Amino acid sequence: MEILLGIWEFFQNNILTKPQFFIGFIVFVGYALLRKPIYECIAGFIKAVVGYMILMVASSGLVGNFRPVLVGLKDRFDLSAAVIDPYFGQAAAQMSVENIGRSFSMMMMVLLIAFAINILLVLFRKYTKIRTLFITGHVMVQQSSTALWLVLFCFPNLQDPGVVLMLGVLLGTYWSVASNLTVEPVAKLTEGGGFATGHQQMFGIFLVSKLAKRIGNPQKSLENLKLPGFLSIFNENMVATGILMTIFFGAIITILGADLMHQIDKGFSPKQNFAFYIVEKSFNFAVYLTILQLGVRTFVSELTNSFQGISEKLLPGSMPAVDCAATYGFGHPNAVTFGFLFGAFGQFLAILGLIVFQSPILIISGFVPLFFDNATFAVFANRLGGVRAAAILPFCSGIIQVLGGAFAAYYFTTGNFGGWHGNFDWDTLWPAIGVIMNYFQYVGVAIVVVLLLLIPQIIYYRNKDTYFLIAEDYDAYKEVLAKKQGVPVDQVVVD
Amino acid sequence: MLKVIAACGSGMGSSQIIKMKLSKVFKKLGIDADVYHTNVGDAKSQANNYDVVFCSASLEGQFAGTKAKVIGLKNLLSEQEMTEKIEAADLK
Repeated sequence: MEILLGIWEFFQNNILTKPQFFIGFIVFVGYALLRKPIYECIAGFIKAVVGYMILMVASSGLVGNFRPVLVGLKDRFDLSAAVIDPYFGQAAAQMSVENIGRSFSMMMMVLLIAFAINILLVLFRKYTKIRTLFITGHVMVQQSSTALWLVLFCFPNLQDPGVVLMLGVLLGTYWSVASNLTVEPVAKLTEGGGFATGHQQMFGIFLVSKLAKRIGNPQKSLENLKLPGFLSIFNENMVATGILMTIFFGAIITILGADLMHQIDKGFSPKQNFAFYIVEKSFNFAVYLTILQLGVRTFVSELTNSFQGISEKLLPGSMPAVDCAATYGFGHPNAVTFGFLFGAFGQFLAILGLIVFQSPILIISGFVPLFFDNATFAVFANRLGGVRAAAILPFCSGIIQVLGGAFAAYYFTTGNFGGWHGNFDWDTLWPAIGVIMNYFQYVGVAIVVVLLLLIPQIIYYRNKDTYFLIAEDYDAYKEVLAKKQGVPVDQVVVD
Repeated sequence: MLKVIAACGSGMGSSQIIKMKLSKVFKKLGIDADVYHTNVGDAKSQANNYDVVFCSASLEGQFAGTKAKVIGLKNLLSEQEMTEKIEAADLK
């Protein structure tokens, strides 16, 4: 017995509570179960562990680079600040979790349980009406991280198994229900492309697809617009982050002044020119983000591969819910740029608002929500509401992202580590879930899960005859519509 | 061995999806290929060392002037579209 306990303790201290080895261990076991040769299991193990360790280096680099600026803002204006971006949010969530002495390995267990819940809900789709399986690995990691901090924030005394189990159910329900909501909009956009969106703005896509046709006119599409060519440089992550960060941190550090920065940042040598210091500091964010993404890419590709395998084996007929960028090929290239641009207008306006109305927290635009959320919204909006909708909806989304993000970073205290998740669903739905959990505790969690599960039921009862058809056979779906509208199939109107 | 890059905006989600589907299609067509997935910036700087680049149709313009063949995909998950485009480009 004592030996067994000893083994368990060894396992707990060296693997279970060390996220890098825990992830490596899971990949190794997963590959072994798939009967891959031992050398591939070892390669997978190494890639997962090293990938995670790269991520840890980058996270602390990101937060460390930010710290002098945060200290300066606190000193001079009694302000805190957060970049609204899932990578910054993930780093801030990890720091918050470790700061209260809890193990971040729970993130990975939450992810696995949530994925299992999603599988179960699809397996029993006859009753649950869930058609989609969420397989976007890097997003699952980011969301598990942020949600883990939310639960620890609301239930500081809950033990690890309780945290993991409860959050696994909650997050798995969200993944299932929210990605399931995108089935109709995505199928109509892609004319039966065979996938749904599993990303960070799924409720947003649903809202946009409901609002766009009321706002604009699909005849006035943005395909006829000519956008300035220089905007295409924002297609490159590194360039876009470099530019964004230089604008924001340039402004902030200039206001804080060279004297104060010399006092708080040892890395600012007296010989260095202030302008070059600012540029170096700003570009450092691009450096750490690039490293972070390399880390995530390395260990997540192992994960996504096995998820895809599981979904094909276990769940034939289920729809994969994938990255939002998979829809971009179905919109005009203008739509992507247009959404980004108007999202940026909205965000900048809202940030000015925060400053004017003296908000206790300052928000800095992060590239991922700014670009990917708003570009996605514009692609969907343009199809149903043309230029007008593709401008207005991303603009509104930009404003919501900043205000929701500011609230969340302040309320859930991740502003102390300079970040919040920042994508649309995490500026709207999830802060609301967090507040409900905080006030109503376990009852709140139960209410949220039940309400979420009701959504697919409602949609099902409104379109009983086509609900599964649109996901399984789009041509047959169009035939049913044609019959209802009394026109030939090629004239059918899909709204 | 055919050297292939799959590229997307952040090099995370979509390119990974392209890679998974492509590997399957190449296997079916009996083409020996090695697929690497990454972001657009990285792909641009490395494209000349590869035979062919696959990306979303919306990103095709980013690769103007590269020596590698560039194939833009409308549906990143459609094995049929990939097969057609691979055959049209006569990749081996």
